[in-house]
Amino acid sequence: MRTAALALAGVLIVLVFGLSMPGVRAAGPTLTIVSPADHVVIGNGTSVAVIFVVSDFNLTPPGTGGPGPSPTEGHVDVYVDGVLTIAVSQETIDLSLASGTYTILLRLVSDNGTALSPDVTSSITVTVTQGPAVGTPRIQISYVEITYPTPGLVLGRDVTISFRVTDFALVPPGRGEPVPNEGHVAVFLDGVYYMSVMAFRPIPFSDLVDGEHTVTVRLVDDAGQALTPDASDSVTFRIQFAAIVDINPYLSITQIVLAGAIFIVLFYRQRGGNLLKILSARFGGKNA
Amino acid sequence: MRPQAPTARQHPEARRRSTMLALVALMSLLGVSLSSSTAVAAAPSLTIVSPANGAVIANGTSVLVDFLVSNFAFVQPGRVGQIGSPNEGHANVFLDTQYIRLLTAVEPFSLPVTSGAHTIRIQLVADNGTLLNPDVSASVGVVATHGPDEGAPRLKILSPTPLEATGHGIYVSYRIENFTLVEPRGQPNAPSEGHVQLLVGTDVVMEVIQYEPVLLVSLPEGDITIGARLVNNDDTVLANPSASATVAIHVVASSSVSLPLVSNGGIALLLAFILVVLILRRRKLAARDANARGGSP
Repeated sequence: MRTAALALAGVLIVLVFGLSMPGVRAAGPTLTIVSPADHVVIGNGTSVAVIFVVSDFNLTPPGTGGPGPSPTEGHVDVYVDGVLTIAVSQETIDLSLASGTYTILLRLVSDNGTALSPDVTSSITVTVTQGPAVGTPRIQISYVEITYPTPGLVLGRDVTISFRVTDFALVPPGRGEPVPNEGHVAVFLDGVYYMSVMAFRPIPFSDLVDGEHTVTVRLVDDAGQALTPDASDSVTFRIQFAAIVDINPYLSITQIVLAGAIFIVLFYRQRGGNLLKILSARFGGKNA
Repeated sequence: MRPQAPTARQHPEARRRSTMLALVALMSLLGVSLSSSTAVAAAPSLTIVSPANGAVIANGTSVLVDFLVSNFAFVQPGRVGQIGSPNEGHANVFLDTQYIRLLTAVEPFSLPVTSGAHTIRIQLVADNGTLLNPDVSASVGVVATHGPDEGAPRLKILSPTPLEATGHGIYVSYRIENFTLVEPRGQPNAPSEGHVQLLVGTDVVMEVIQYEPVLLVSLPEGDITIGARLVNNDDTVLANPSASATVAIHVVASSSVSLPLVSNGGIALLLAFILVVLILRRRKLAARDANARGGSP
Protein backbone atom coordinates (compact mmCIF):
# COMPACT_ATOMS: atom_id res chain seq x y z
CA MET A 1 0.00 0.00 0.00
CA ARG A 2 2.78 2.34 0.92
CA THR A 3 4.68 1.35 -2.20
CA ALA A 4 1.70 2.01 -4.40
CA ALA A 5 1.21 5.39 -2.81
CA LEU A 6 4.84 6.24 -3.37
CA ALA A 7 4.66 5.12 -6.99
CA LEU A 8 1.53 7.19 -7.55
CA ALA A 9 3.16 10.22 -5.98
CA GLY A 10 6.22 9.69 -8.19
CA VAL A 11 4.11 9.51 -11.30
CA LEU A 12 2.23 12.64 -10.32
CA ILE A 13 5.48 14.50 -9.67
CA VAL A 14 6.91 13.43 -13.00
CA LEU A 15 3.66 14.41 -14.70
CA VAL A 16 3.59 17.81 -13.04
CA PHE A 17 7.22 18.49 -13.83
CA GLY A 18 6.74 17.22 -17.35
CA LEU A 19 3.85 19.57 -17.96
CA SER A 20 5.44 22.53 -16.28
CA MET A 21 8.82 22.30 -18.02
CA PRO A 22 8.58 23.62 -21.56
CA GLY A 23 11.99 22.30 -22.41
CA VAL A 24 10.76 18.79 -22.45
CA ARG A 25 7.56 19.29 -24.34
CA ALA A 26 7.02 16.48 -26.76
CA ALA A 27 5.33 18.60 -29.45
CA GLY A 28 8.44 18.80 -31.62
CA PRO A 29 9.60 21.61 -33.90
CA THR A 30 7.09 23.59 -35.89
CA LEU A 31 7.40 25.96 -38.81
CA THR A 32 4.89 28.64 -39.74
CA ILE A 33 4.94 31.10 -42.61
CA VAL A 34 3.75 34.38 -41.12
CA SER A 35 3.85 36.49 -44.25
CA PRO A 36 2.81 36.77 -47.03
CA ALA A 37 -0.61 35.23 -46.86
CA ASP A 38 -1.45 32.26 -49.00
CA HIS A 39 -2.57 33.12 -52.57
CA VAL A 40 -1.52 36.73 -52.21
CA VAL A 41 -0.57 38.88 -55.21
CA ILE A 42 2.83 40.55 -55.00
CA GLY A 43 2.70 43.75 -57.05
CA ASN A 44 5.10 46.02 -58.87
CA GLY A 45 7.53 43.18 -59.55
CA THR A 46 8.97 43.49 -56.08
CA SER A 47 10.74 40.63 -54.40
CA VAL A 48 8.68 38.28 -52.25
CA ALA A 49 9.54 38.72 -48.58
CA VAL A 50 8.71 35.42 -46.88
CA ILE A 51 8.68 35.62 -43.09
CA PHE A 52 8.52 32.46 -41.01
CA VAL A 53 8.80 31.49 -37.36
CA VAL A 54 9.81 28.22 -35.80
CA SER A 55 9.24 26.72 -32.41
CA ASP A 56 11.37 24.29 -30.46
CA PHE A 57 14.07 24.61 -33.05
CA ASN A 58 17.35 26.46 -33.05
CA LEU A 59 18.21 28.09 -36.34
CA THR A 60 21.86 27.91 -37.18
CA PRO A 61 23.61 28.83 -40.40
CA PRO A 62 24.18 25.77 -42.58
CA GLY A 63 27.43 24.08 -41.75
CA THR A 64 27.77 25.53 -38.29
CA GLY A 65 25.83 22.99 -36.27
CA GLY A 66 27.18 20.38 -33.91
CA PRO A 67 28.41 16.98 -34.95
CA GLY A 68 25.73 14.67 -36.15
CA PRO A 69 22.17 15.50 -37.12
CA SER A 70 20.08 17.13 -34.41
CA PRO A 71 16.28 17.11 -34.45
CA THR A 72 16.15 20.50 -32.81
CA GLU A 73 18.84 22.42 -34.62
CA GLY A 74 19.43 23.25 -38.24
CA HIS A 75 18.20 25.55 -40.95
CA VAL A 76 15.40 26.02 -43.47
CA ASP A 77 15.51 24.83 -47.05
CA VAL A 78 13.45 26.95 -49.43
CA TYR A 79 11.84 25.36 -52.46
CA VAL A 80 10.24 27.36 -55.27
CA ASP A 81 8.00 25.18 -57.41
CA GLY A 82 9.79 22.14 -56.08
CA VAL A 83 13.27 23.40 -56.80
CA LEU A 84 15.64 23.93 -53.88
CA THR A 85 16.46 27.62 -54.15
CA ILE A 86 18.18 28.66 -50.96
CA ALA A 87 19.02 27.50 -47.44
CA VAL A 88 18.51 30.09 -44.72
CA SER A 89 18.77 30.52 -40.99
CA GLN A 90 17.12 33.95 -40.85
CA GLU A 91 13.40 34.38 -40.52
CA THR A 92 13.07 36.68 -43.52
CA ILE A 93 13.69 35.42 -47.05
CA ASP A 94 13.75 37.72 -50.07
CA LEU A 95 12.90 35.89 -53.27
CA SER A 96 13.23 37.70 -56.59
CA LEU A 97 10.73 36.06 -58.90
CA ALA A 98 9.54 36.88 -62.40
CA SER A 99 5.86 37.31 -63.17
CA GLY A 100 3.91 34.15 -62.51
CA THR A 101 2.38 31.96 -59.85
CA TYR A 102 4.70 30.05 -57.56
CA THR A 103 4.50 27.57 -54.74
CA ILE A 104 7.01 28.36 -52.01
CA LEU A 105 7.74 25.54 -49.60
CA LEU A 106 9.91 25.81 -46.48
CA ARG A 107 11.34 22.73 -44.79
CA LEU A 108 13.17 22.42 -41.49
CA VAL A 109 16.29 20.37 -41.92
CA SER A 110 19.16 19.37 -39.70
CA ASP A 111 22.51 20.97 -40.19
CA ASN A 112 23.57 18.21 -42.56
CA GLY A 113 20.50 18.85 -44.71
CA THR A 114 18.45 15.83 -43.74
CA ALA A 115 14.76 16.41 -43.19
CA LEU A 116 13.37 16.05 -39.71
CA SER A 117 11.27 13.06 -38.77
CA PRO A 118 8.42 13.69 -39.02
CA ASP A 119 8.88 16.18 -41.84
CA VAL A 120 8.25 19.82 -40.82
CA THR A 121 7.20 22.01 -43.71
CA SER A 122 5.03 24.98 -44.53
CA SER A 123 4.06 26.29 -47.95
CA ILE A 124 2.20 29.10 -49.65
CA THR A 125 1.26 30.05 -53.18
CA VAL A 126 1.95 33.55 -54.39
CA THR A 127 1.44 35.38 -57.68
CA VAL A 128 3.96 37.95 -58.82
CA THR A 129 2.96 40.69 -61.25
CA GLN A 130 4.71 43.70 -62.68
CA GLY A 131 1.49 45.63 -62.21
CA PRO A 132 0.00 46.77 -58.95
CA ALA A 133 -1.26 44.17 -56.52
CA VAL A 134 -4.65 45.79 -56.30
CA GLY A 135 -6.76 48.03 -58.47
CA THR A 136 -8.91 47.70 -61.54
CA PRO A 137 -7.02 48.13 -64.82
CA ARG A 138 -8.27 50.89 -67.09
CA ILE A 139 -7.23 52.38 -70.41
CA GLN A 140 -8.20 55.71 -71.83
CA ILE A 141 -7.43 57.40 -75.13
CA SER A 142 -6.02 60.70 -74.05
CA TYR A 143 -5.13 62.55 -77.22
CA VAL A 144 -5.68 62.23 -80.96
CA GLU A 145 -3.12 64.08 -82.95
CA ILE A 146 -4.31 66.19 -84.47
CA THR A 147 -7.96 66.99 -84.54
CA TYR A 148 -8.19 70.70 -84.56
CA PRO A 149 -9.36 73.30 -85.34
CA THR A 150 -12.35 71.03 -85.92
CA PRO A 151 -12.65 68.30 -83.29
CA GLY A 152 -12.90 64.84 -84.80
CA LEU A 153 -11.66 66.00 -88.18
CA VAL A 154 -8.17 65.05 -89.29
CA LEU A 155 -6.83 67.01 -92.23
CA GLY A 156 -4.35 64.43 -93.32
CA ARG A 157 -3.83 60.75 -93.79
CA ASP A 158 -1.63 60.25 -90.71
CA VAL A 159 -2.95 60.16 -87.16
CA THR A 160 -1.23 59.52 -83.85
CA ILE A 161 -3.24 58.39 -80.86
CA SER A 162 -2.03 58.60 -77.26
CA PHE A 163 -3.42 56.53 -74.45
CA ARG A 164 -2.87 56.09 -70.76
CA VAL A 165 -3.36 53.12 -68.52
CA THR A 166 -4.13 52.89 -64.83
CA ASP A 167 -3.37 50.01 -62.48
CA PHE A 168 -1.80 47.98 -65.27
CA ALA A 169 1.75 47.25 -66.37
CA LEU A 170 2.62 46.96 -70.06
CA VAL A 171 4.98 44.07 -70.72
CA PRO A 172 5.91 42.12 -73.85
CA PRO A 173 3.71 39.06 -74.39
CA GLY A 174 4.95 35.51 -74.24
CA ARG A 175 6.38 35.65 -70.75
CA GLY A 176 4.26 32.80 -69.44
CA GLU A 177 0.93 32.41 -67.77
CA PRO A 178 -1.37 35.40 -67.40
CA VAL A 179 -1.06 37.27 -64.13
CA PRO A 180 -3.25 40.06 -62.75
CA ASN A 181 -2.82 43.65 -63.87
CA GLU A 182 -0.17 42.89 -66.44
CA GLY A 183 -0.26 42.51 -70.22
CA HIS A 184 -0.30 44.65 -73.33
CA VAL A 185 -2.60 46.75 -75.50
CA ALA A 186 -4.41 45.35 -78.52
CA VAL A 187 -5.26 48.02 -81.10
CA PHE A 188 -8.15 47.69 -83.50
CA LEU A 189 -8.82 49.92 -86.51
CA ASP A 190 -12.42 49.84 -87.69
CA GLY A 191 -12.95 46.61 -85.77
CA VAL A 192 -9.98 44.84 -87.31
CA TYR A 193 -6.89 43.95 -85.29
CA TYR A 194 -4.20 46.46 -86.16
CA MET A 195 -1.24 46.02 -83.79
CA SER A 196 -0.04 45.28 -80.28
CA VAL A 197 1.50 47.93 -78.10
CA MET A 198 3.75 46.81 -75.29
CA ALA A 199 5.00 50.14 -74.01
CA PHE A 200 3.72 53.57 -73.23
CA ARG A 201 4.03 55.36 -76.56
CA PRO A 202 1.78 57.00 -79.13
CA ILE A 203 0.17 54.72 -81.71
CA PRO A 204 0.79 55.90 -85.30
CA PHE A 205 -1.70 55.32 -88.09
CA SER A 206 -0.68 56.20 -91.63
CA ASP A 207 -2.23 56.36 -95.08
CA LEU A 208 -5.77 56.28 -93.82
CA VAL A 209 -8.40 56.70 -96.50
CA ASP A 210 -10.96 59.46 -96.39
CA GLY A 211 -13.96 58.88 -94.18
CA GLU A 212 -14.75 57.93 -90.62
CA HIS A 213 -12.49 55.60 -88.71
CA THR A 214 -12.81 54.06 -85.26
CA VAL A 215 -9.80 53.09 -83.21
CA THR A 216 -10.25 50.81 -80.22
CA VAL A 217 -7.58 50.09 -77.65
CA ARG A 218 -8.06 47.18 -75.29
CA LEU A 219 -6.03 45.85 -72.40
CA VAL A 220 -5.29 42.15 -72.80
CA ASP A 221 -3.37 39.62 -70.76
CA ASP A 222 -0.25 37.77 -71.77
CA ALA A 223 -2.29 35.33 -73.86
CA GLY A 224 -4.06 38.15 -75.67
CA GLN A 225 -7.35 37.60 -73.92
CA ALA A 226 -9.45 40.57 -72.88
CA LEU A 227 -9.53 41.31 -69.20
CA THR A 228 -12.53 40.69 -67.00
CA PRO A 229 -14.10 43.18 -66.73
CA ASP A 230 -13.21 44.51 -70.15
CA ALA A 231 -10.89 47.51 -70.19
CA SER A 232 -11.06 49.35 -73.49
CA ASP A 233 -11.66 52.73 -75.05
CA SER A 234 -12.54 53.92 -78.54
CA VAL A 235 -12.33 57.10 -80.56
CA THR A 236 -13.90 58.00 -83.88
CA PHE A 237 -12.48 60.59 -86.23
CA ARG A 238 -12.90 61.58 -89.84
CA ILE A 239 -10.12 61.74 -92.37
CA GLN A 240 -10.48 64.51 -94.90
CA PHE A 241 -7.48 64.76 -97.08
CA ALA A 242 -7.16 67.30 -99.97
CA ALA A 243 -5.34 65.24 -102.54
CA ILE A 244 -2.67 66.96 -104.60
CA VAL A 245 -2.94 66.26 -108.35
CA ASP A 246 0.17 64.74 -109.74
CA ILE A 247 0.98 66.67 -112.94
CA ASN A 248 4.05 64.69 -113.87
CA PRO A 249 2.23 62.54 -116.45
CA TYR A 250 0.83 65.66 -118.08
CA LEU A 251 4.28 67.20 -118.18
CA SER A 252 5.62 64.11 -119.89
CA ILE A 253 2.91 64.29 -122.56
CA THR A 254 3.67 67.97 -123.00
CA GLN A 255 7.33 67.17 -123.47
CA ILE A 256 6.50 64.63 -126.18
CA VAL A 257 4.22 67.08 -127.96
CA LEU A 258 6.82 69.83 -127.77
CA ALA A 259 9.54 67.51 -129.04
CA GLY A 260 7.31 66.50 -131.94
CA ALA A 261 6.58 70.11 -132.74
CA ILE A 262 10.28 70.95 -132.72
CA PHE A 263 10.95 68.05 -134.99
CA ILE A 264 8.28 69.19 -137.40
CA VAL A 265 9.57 72.74 -137.41
CA LEU A 266 13.10 71.57 -138.03
CA PHE A 267 11.95 69.22 -140.75
CA TYR A 268 9.91 71.96 -142.35
CA ARG A 269 12.84 74.32 -142.19
CA GLN A 270 15.51 72.03 -143.67
CA ARG A 271 13.92 69.35 -145.75
CA GLY A 272 10.40 70.62 -145.71
CA GLY A 273 11.56 73.87 -147.30
CA ASN A 274 13.40 72.02 -150.00
CA LEU A 275 10.45 69.80 -150.52
CA LEU A 276 8.25 72.83 -150.96
CA LYS A 277 10.67 74.23 -153.44
CA ILE A 278 10.72 70.96 -155.38
CA LEU A 279 6.98 70.74 -155.30
CA SER A 280 6.55 74.33 -156.37
CA ALA A 281 9.09 73.83 -159.11
CA ARG A 282 7.28 70.74 -160.42
CA PHE A 283 3.98 72.47 -160.27
CA GLY A 284 5.52 75.50 -162.01
CA GLY A 285 7.09 73.24 -164.69
CA LYS A 286 3.81 71.55 -165.48
CA ASN A 287 2.06 74.85 -165.73
CA ALA A 288 4.79 76.17 -167.96
CA MET B 1 27.95 55.03 38.85
CA ARG B 2 31.74 55.13 38.19
CA PRO B 3 31.81 51.87 36.54
CA GLN B 4 29.24 53.40 34.40
CA ALA B 5 31.48 56.28 33.50
CA PRO B 6 33.65 54.38 31.06
CA THR B 7 30.54 52.72 29.83
CA ALA B 8 29.06 56.10 29.37
CA ARG B 9 32.18 57.25 27.61
CA GLN B 10 32.37 54.12 25.54
CA HIS B 11 28.74 54.20 24.64
CA PRO B 12 29.00 57.12 22.24
CA GLU B 13 31.94 55.45 20.50
CA ALA B 14 30.08 52.22 20.26
CA ARG B 15 27.11 54.08 19.04
CA ARG B 16 29.27 55.93 16.53
CA ARG B 17 30.79 52.68 15.35
CA SER B 18 27.38 51.13 15.15
CA THR B 19 26.13 54.11 13.28
CA MET B 20 29.07 53.98 10.90
CA LEU B 21 28.55 50.29 10.35
CA ALA B 22 24.88 50.82 9.83
CA LEU B 23 25.62 53.65 7.43
CA VAL B 24 28.07 51.54 5.48
CA ALA B 25 25.61 48.72 5.41
CA LEU B 26 22.88 51.08 4.35
CA MET B 27 25.07 52.56 1.63
CA SER B 28 25.94 49.12 0.43
CA LEU B 29 22.34 48.12 0.42
CA LEU B 30 21.42 51.34 -1.31
CA GLY B 31 24.14 50.84 -3.86
CA VAL B 32 23.07 47.30 -4.53
CA SER B 33 19.48 48.36 -4.56
CA LEU B 34 20.13 51.19 -6.95
CA SER B 35 22.18 49.09 -9.29
CA SER B 36 19.66 46.30 -9.33
CA SER B 37 16.75 48.68 -9.72
CA THR B 38 18.50 50.31 -12.70
CA ALA B 39 18.82 46.97 -14.41
CA VAL B 40 15.18 46.20 -13.88
CA ALA B 41 13.68 49.57 -14.62
CA ALA B 42 15.67 50.51 -17.74
CA ALA B 43 13.17 50.35 -20.56
CA PRO B 44 14.09 49.16 -24.04
CA SER B 45 14.53 51.90 -26.59
CA LEU B 46 14.67 51.93 -30.36
CA THR B 47 15.99 54.62 -32.69
CA ILE B 48 16.13 54.69 -36.48
CA VAL B 49 19.47 56.24 -37.36
CA SER B 50 19.08 56.24 -41.12
CA PRO B 51 17.38 57.31 -43.34
CA ALA B 52 16.38 60.68 -41.97
CA ASN B 53 12.74 61.49 -41.78
CA GLY B 54 11.53 62.84 -45.13
CA ALA B 55 14.61 61.61 -46.98
CA VAL B 56 14.36 61.17 -50.74
CA ILE B 57 15.42 57.73 -51.92
CA ALA B 58 16.55 58.53 -55.44
CA ASN B 59 17.30 56.68 -58.66
CA GLY B 60 14.98 53.78 -57.87
CA THR B 61 17.35 52.33 -55.32
CA SER B 62 16.48 50.42 -52.19
CA VAL B 63 16.48 52.20 -48.87
CA LEU B 64 19.09 51.16 -46.33
CA VAL B 65 17.67 51.23 -42.82
CA ASP B 66 20.04 51.50 -39.87
CA PHE B 67 18.76 51.43 -36.30
CA LEU B 68 19.92 51.25 -32.71
CA VAL B 69 18.43 49.33 -29.81
CA SER B 70 19.28 49.61 -26.13
CA ASN B 71 18.26 47.52 -23.14
CA PHE B 72 16.91 44.84 -25.39
CA ALA B 73 18.48 41.60 -26.51
CA PHE B 74 17.68 40.24 -29.95
CA VAL B 75 17.14 36.51 -29.96
CA GLN B 76 15.71 34.00 -32.34
CA PRO B 77 12.08 33.32 -31.53
CA GLY B 78 11.08 29.74 -30.98
CA ARG B 79 14.35 28.40 -29.66
CA VAL B 80 14.38 25.13 -27.80
CA GLY B 81 13.50 25.71 -24.17
CA GLN B 82 13.01 29.41 -24.67
CA ILE B 83 11.67 31.30 -21.66
CA GLY B 84 10.44 34.76 -22.42
CA SER B 85 12.05 37.78 -20.83
CA PRO B 86 10.70 41.32 -20.91
CA ASN B 87 13.94 42.66 -22.34
CA GLU B 88 14.50 40.17 -25.11
CA GLY B 89 12.77 39.34 -28.32
CA HIS B 90 12.97 40.46 -31.90
CA ALA B 91 11.77 43.26 -34.15
CA ASN B 92 9.10 43.42 -36.81
CA VAL B 93 9.46 45.76 -39.75
CA PHE B 94 6.52 47.27 -41.60
CA LEU B 95 6.56 49.16 -44.88
CA ASP B 96 3.41 51.26 -44.66
CA THR B 97 1.05 48.59 -43.37
CA GLN B 98 2.80 45.60 -44.87
CA TYR B 99 4.79 43.27 -42.64
CA ILE B 100 8.06 42.75 -44.48
CA ARG B 101 10.87 41.78 -42.09
CA LEU B 102 11.51 39.86 -38.88
CA LEU B 103 14.80 40.98 -37.42
CA THR B 104 16.82 38.95 -34.95
CA ALA B 105 19.94 41.07 -35.14
CA VAL B 106 20.70 44.75 -34.90
CA GLU B 107 22.07 45.14 -38.39
CA PRO B 108 21.28 47.54 -41.22
CA PHE B 109 18.88 46.08 -43.75
CA SER B 110 17.79 47.03 -47.24
CA LEU B 111 14.22 47.54 -48.39
CA PRO B 112 13.05 47.88 -52.00
CA VAL B 113 10.49 50.66 -52.28
CA THR B 114 8.28 51.78 -55.13
CA SER B 115 7.91 55.40 -56.16
CA GLY B 116 6.02 57.55 -53.72
CA ALA B 117 5.87 58.29 -50.02
CA HIS B 118 6.33 55.45 -47.58
CA THR B 119 6.54 54.93 -43.86
CA ILE B 120 9.02 52.45 -42.42
CA ARG B 121 8.21 51.26 -38.91
CA ILE B 122 10.24 49.01 -36.65
CA GLN B 123 8.60 47.52 -33.58
CA LEU B 124 10.17 45.52 -30.79
CA VAL B 125 8.22 42.45 -29.71
CA ALA B 126 8.66 39.73 -27.15
CA ASP B 127 9.79 36.23 -28.01
CA ASN B 128 6.22 35.08 -28.41
CA GLY B 129 5.46 37.98 -30.76
CA THR B 130 3.44 40.06 -28.31
CA LEU B 131 4.02 43.77 -28.10
CA LEU B 132 6.10 45.20 -25.29
CA ASN B 133 4.34 47.22 -22.64
CA PRO B 134 4.70 50.10 -23.25
CA ASP B 135 5.05 49.70 -26.98
CA VAL B 136 8.56 50.34 -28.33
CA SER B 137 8.63 51.32 -31.96
CA ALA B 138 10.14 53.91 -34.27
CA SER B 139 9.11 55.04 -37.70
CA VAL B 140 10.48 57.21 -40.45
CA GLY B 141 8.92 58.64 -43.60
CA VAL B 142 10.73 58.50 -46.92
CA VAL B 143 9.91 59.45 -50.50
CA ALA B 144 11.13 57.10 -53.20
CA THR B 145 11.65 58.13 -56.81
CA HIS B 146 13.31 56.92 -59.97
CA GLY B 147 14.60 60.43 -60.51
CA PRO B 148 17.65 62.11 -59.06
CA ASP B 149 17.55 63.53 -55.56
CA GLU B 150 18.87 66.95 -56.44
CA GLY B 151 18.72 69.48 -59.23
CA ALA B 152 15.72 71.21 -60.70
CA PRO B 153 14.11 69.38 -63.62
CA ARG B 154 14.72 71.13 -66.92
CA LEU B 155 13.55 70.69 -70.48
CA LYS B 156 14.93 72.46 -73.54
CA ILE B 157 13.69 72.12 -77.09
CA LEU B 158 16.62 71.60 -79.44
CA SER B 159 14.67 71.29 -82.67
CA PRO B 160 12.86 72.90 -84.42
CA THR B 161 14.59 76.21 -84.01
CA PRO B 162 12.55 79.37 -83.47
CA LEU B 163 10.67 80.64 -86.53
CA GLU B 164 11.74 77.63 -88.55
CA ALA B 165 9.61 76.98 -91.62
CA THR B 166 8.43 73.43 -91.93
CA GLY B 167 5.87 71.20 -93.54
CA HIS B 168 2.99 69.45 -91.84
CA GLY B 169 5.28 66.99 -90.09
CA ILE B 170 8.28 67.71 -87.95
CA TYR B 171 10.57 65.96 -85.51
CA VAL B 172 10.75 67.62 -82.12
CA SER B 173 14.01 67.06 -80.26
CA TYR B 174 14.48 68.00 -76.64
CA ARG B 175 16.93 67.57 -73.81
CA ILE B 176 15.85 66.65 -70.30
CA GLU B 177 17.92 67.19 -67.17
CA ASN B 178 17.38 66.10 -63.58
CA PHE B 179 14.26 64.18 -64.47
CA THR B 180 13.57 60.52 -65.19
CA LEU B 181 10.86 59.43 -67.60
CA VAL B 182 8.69 56.62 -66.30
CA GLU B 183 5.58 54.94 -67.61
CA PRO B 184 2.49 56.47 -66.03
CA ARG B 185 0.16 53.75 -64.81
CA GLY B 186 -1.62 55.33 -61.93
CA GLN B 187 1.25 55.22 -59.47
CA PRO B 188 1.74 58.07 -56.98
CA ASN B 189 3.69 61.16 -57.90
CA ALA B 190 7.34 61.24 -56.95
CA PRO B 191 9.95 63.98 -57.20
CA SER B 192 11.81 64.32 -60.49
CA GLU B 193 9.99 61.53 -62.28
CA GLY B 194 7.14 61.57 -64.77
CA HIS B 195 6.69 61.91 -68.50
CA VAL B 196 6.65 64.46 -71.33
CA GLN B 197 3.66 66.15 -72.89
CA LEU B 198 3.93 67.66 -76.36
CA LEU B 199 1.68 70.55 -77.26
CA VAL B 200 0.59 72.31 -80.41
CA GLY B 201 -0.52 75.71 -79.30
CA THR B 202 -2.23 75.05 -76.00
CA ASP B 203 -3.47 71.58 -76.89
CA VAL B 204 -1.68 68.49 -75.65
CA VAL B 205 -1.29 66.20 -78.63
CA MET B 206 1.03 63.52 -77.34
CA GLU B 207 2.46 61.97 -74.18
CA VAL B 208 5.76 60.18 -74.37
CA ILE B 209 8.44 58.66 -72.17
CA GLN B 210 11.18 58.75 -74.79
CA TYR B 211 14.32 60.80 -74.96
CA GLU B 212 14.56 60.41 -78.75
CA PRO B 213 13.00 62.95 -81.14
CA VAL B 214 9.24 62.74 -81.48
CA LEU B 215 7.47 63.07 -84.83
CA LEU B 216 4.56 65.44 -84.90
CA VAL B 217 2.36 65.10 -87.97
CA SER B 218 -0.59 66.88 -89.52
CA LEU B 219 0.43 70.22 -88.12
CA PRO B 220 -1.93 73.07 -88.99
CA GLU B 221 -0.71 75.66 -91.45
CA GLY B 222 0.47 79.05 -90.36
CA ASP B 223 2.38 80.40 -87.40
CA ILE B 224 2.05 77.95 -84.53
CA THR B 225 3.77 77.20 -81.27
CA ILE B 226 5.21 73.81 -80.43
CA GLY B 227 5.57 73.08 -76.73
CA ALA B 228 6.99 70.38 -74.51
CA ARG B 229 6.70 70.08 -70.76
CA LEU B 230 7.52 67.72 -67.94
CA VAL B 231 4.57 66.44 -65.94
CA ASN B 232 4.05 64.22 -62.92
CA ASN B 233 2.64 60.72 -63.09
CA ASP B 234 -0.86 62.13 -62.66
CA ASP B 235 -0.37 64.65 -65.52
CA THR B 236 -0.01 67.66 -63.28
CA VAL B 237 2.46 70.14 -64.71
CA LEU B 238 5.63 70.81 -62.76
CA ALA B 239 5.61 74.21 -61.17
CA ASN B 240 9.20 74.79 -62.13
CA PRO B 241 9.18 77.14 -65.16
CA SER B 242 12.28 75.56 -66.62
CA ALA B 243 10.43 72.26 -66.88
CA SER B 244 8.62 73.44 -69.99
CA ALA B 245 9.61 75.08 -73.25
CA THR B 246 7.96 76.39 -76.38
CA VAL B 247 9.13 77.31 -79.84
CA ALA B 248 7.32 79.25 -82.55
CA ILE B 249 7.46 77.79 -86.04
CA HIS B 250 5.84 78.46 -89.41
CA VAL B 251 4.06 75.63 -91.12
CA VAL B 252 3.79 76.07 -94.87
CA ALA B 253 1.27 74.35 -97.10
CA SER B 254 2.18 70.97 -98.40
CA SER B 255 3.87 71.25 -101.75
CA SER B 256 4.02 68.71 -104.52
CA VAL B 257 7.26 70.22 -105.68
CA SER B 258 9.68 67.42 -106.13
CA LEU B 259 12.77 66.69 -108.16
CA PRO B 260 10.94 64.76 -110.91
CA LEU B 261 8.40 67.53 -111.12
CA VAL B 262 11.08 70.18 -111.37
CA SER B 263 13.03 68.26 -113.96
CA ASN B 264 9.97 67.42 -116.03
CA GLY B 265 8.73 70.96 -115.87
CA GLY B 266 12.14 72.35 -116.72
CA ILE B 267 12.52 70.11 -119.72
CA ALA B 268 9.05 71.04 -120.93
CA LEU B 269 9.86 74.74 -120.60
CA LEU B 270 13.15 74.28 -122.45
CA LEU B 271 11.43 72.45 -125.26
CA ALA B 272 8.79 75.14 -125.46
CA PHE B 273 11.47 77.82 -125.61
CA ILE B 274 13.34 75.97 -128.38
CA LEU B 275 10.12 75.58 -130.31
CA VAL B 276 9.32 79.27 -130.05
CA VAL B 277 12.83 80.23 -131.15
CA LEU B 278 12.67 77.88 -134.09
CA ILE B 279 9.28 79.19 -135.16
CA LEU B 280 10.47 82.77 -134.91
CA ARG B 281 13.61 82.02 -136.90
CA ARG B 282 11.56 80.18 -139.46
CA ARG B 283 9.27 83.11 -139.92
CA LYS B 284 12.22 85.46 -140.12
CA LEU B 285 13.84 83.32 -142.82
CA ALA B 286 10.58 83.12 -144.67
CA ALA B 287 10.28 86.91 -144.58
CA ARG B 288 13.88 87.27 -145.80
CA ASP B 289 13.21 84.89 -148.70
CA ALA B 290 10.16 86.83 -149.62
CA ASN B 291 12.11 90.07 -149.66
CA ALA B 292 14.79 88.44 -151.76
CA ARG B 293 12.18 87.40 -154.31
CA GLY B 294 11.06 90.98 -154.74
CA GLY B 295 8.61 91.59 -152.10
CA SER B 296 6.17 88.86 -152.95
CA PRO B 297 6.11 86.12 -150.42
